[in-house]
Amino acid sequence: MSGVILNNVKKRYGAVEVIKGVDIEIGEGEFCVFVGPSGCGKSTLLRMIAGLEEISSGDVQIGGRRVNDLDPKDRGAAMVFQTYALYPHMDVARNMGFGLSMNGWPRDEVDRRVNEAARILQLEPYLDRKPRQLSGGQRQRVAIGRAIVRDPEVFLFDEPLSNLDAELRVATRLEIAKLHGTLENSTMIYVTHDQVEAMTLADKIVVLRDGRVEQVGAPMDLYETPDNLFVAGFIGSPKMNFMALDNGRLPDGTAPAVPGAAGAATLGVRSDALRPVESGGDVAGEITVVEQLGDAVFAHFRTGWGQEMVARFEPGTRLRAGESVRFALAGRTHLFDAEGRALRAAAERLTA
Amino acid sequence: MADAALSRTSFAPPRRREAWLSPRARRTLVSIVLAAICAVWVYPIVWMISASFKTNGEIFADSGLIPDAPTFDNYTRAWREANIGQYFFNTLFVTVGSVIITTIAAALMGYVLGRRPIPGKTALMGLMVFTLFIPQGFTIIPVFELLTSVGLGQSLWGVMLATCGHSIVIFTFLFAGYFGQMPKELEEASRMDGVGPLKTFWYVMLPLSKPIIVTVIVMQTLQAWNDFLLPLVVTLANPDLRTLSVGVYSFRGEHFIDWGGMTAASAITIIPIILLFLFLQRYFIDGLAGAVKG
Repeated sequence: MSGVILNNVKKRYGAVEVIKGVDIEIGEGEFCVFVGPSGCGKSTLLRMIAGLEEISSGDVQIGGRRVNDLDPKDRGAAMVFQTYALYPHMDVARNMGFGLSMNGWPRDEVDRRVNEAARILQLEPYLDRKPRQLSGGQRQRVAIGRAIVRDPEVFLFDEPLSNLDAELRVATRLEIAKLHGTLENSTMIYVTHDQVEAMTLADKIVVLRDGRVEQVGAPMDLYETPDNLFVAGFIGSPKMNFMALDNGRLPDGTAPAVPGAAGAATLGVRSDALRPVESGGDVAGEITVVEQLGDAVFAHFRTGWGQEMVARFEPGTRLRAGESVRFALAGRTHLFDAEGRALRAAAERLTA
Repeated sequence: MADAALSRTSFAPPRRREAWLSPRARRTLVSIVLAAICAVWVYPIVWMISASFKTNGEIFADSGLIPDAPTFDNYTRAWREANIGQYFFNTLFVTVGSVIITTIAAALMGYVLGRRPIPGKTALMGLMVFTLFIPQGFTIIPVFELLTSVGLGQSLWGVMLATCGHSIVIFTFLFAGYFGQMPKELEEASRMDGVGPLKTFWYVMLPLSKPIIVTVIVMQTLQAWNDFLLPLVVTLANPDLRTLSVGVYSFRGEHFIDWGGMTAASAITIIPIILLFLFLQRYFIDGLAGAVKG
């Protein structure tokens, strides 16, 4: 039993409330990602679970125990920092075993655990090197190793990939995913502002904004059925296109073929739900920028009412800026009310 | 950037001048000038060492820097009769003790000032800076009284303790500045590891401040070894407790000054300092540069 439960957790700095009552339940062995724009409180929340920040009100439970008043070391959580926070004057083995040996663990047990962690992370050849002799990715692995040797109930990752370059970020992301597979039953909580990391790693994503939970769910749930405009815009790349609706009509007077559009204030459609058509269609515009990604082509176009939108084309499609394009809505569309809530969610709320 | 671009367009490029000297000749010239300045700089030390090998008669006979008949008499006389041996160990005791106390105390204070949120920190640091502006001459009598009142007025322990006070403020600030710029994640990582604050200080923070430790050791050693006024006042009534700098001064009798003995004693005095500097100068410069870089 090593799940994490947050119950109406709040954090105040003086009069400023940065975490405004968060309820999250993370099951044992789950990989949970906190995602949100900078300043949304996701790192603060993680640090509150770790015990590095005090909890102003509410409860944090790890493995069924209330840990609010416990020291970080007694919470059964280990943290991997964005800056690695390795001890520069200690070699890799000492970095990983430092906490254990300082707490009076027998030396051979420390060595055994360090070697085990080094084996998992393929750090064996580097055990006697200093952090400055390692690459960024290796340093990050040492930081993860330092967490592993403590055999914690919960791993906490605070934007662990932010300091790596793009290529290493992808590689290390994969390693973390594999690690989660290796260390069964370890709960992992991972903070990032990168929704791609969130989508690829998570069993469960928590989208945060301004110290509040916007939505909790599996990655594809969030992608396909976002609860509100914010989640719809935040999850998915490129960003979802939003069009204002007035009595079921777009700003240029077209009535899109979407059932229920009459009662909605905003229509959301992802770039892959726009199918190019020769004539007719729901949306028309003029291409401004073409992005060739190899496996897809993204055409940014300006609609008749002056809004920038983006549509996905099949690879190899030849497009030029200035070209006129027309699209039919051919896929999942999303409707939101005037408060930005998804209409599906609103309907569910009515029936509940 | 914009300014640079502007100035480039609005002024004609400077005409390329013929170099007056080749780079090599320029280096040689600079070296000669610097060597001359250096010679002036080290002359007093060279004179002192040369004089320490001369007899009292020869010193002022204007015989140049090379002694006519080099003699070790001055050294043996200084060591045995003038008690320089005793003074040497007094100084060593005071210096080593004050270096240990100063380094540990300054590192601990600097750690707290640099990293812990304590109420009234700014006021406290302001007060500490203020003490730097009070000349030693004004405080020496109260310090002596203080030592006497705690029963250390006539002991080397008293000299050692009082010597710690000279630069501890500067050392504390050096440590505070250095600790202050260390990333807070280091301490947090150590907290997550379950390592207490004292062990974190001892095993994580202190080893990282090695450049500052070396700087403080070197500066405090110089200070304690060469200190004159304080040991003079404290040991006035007790010649056995004299340190080297005070001991050297005692060669100056009322009617006769033993210049040979004095220069030999001075040479003995500076040898440890020169050795220390030779061994530690690299770290010392690193430490100062590191502190400035922030």
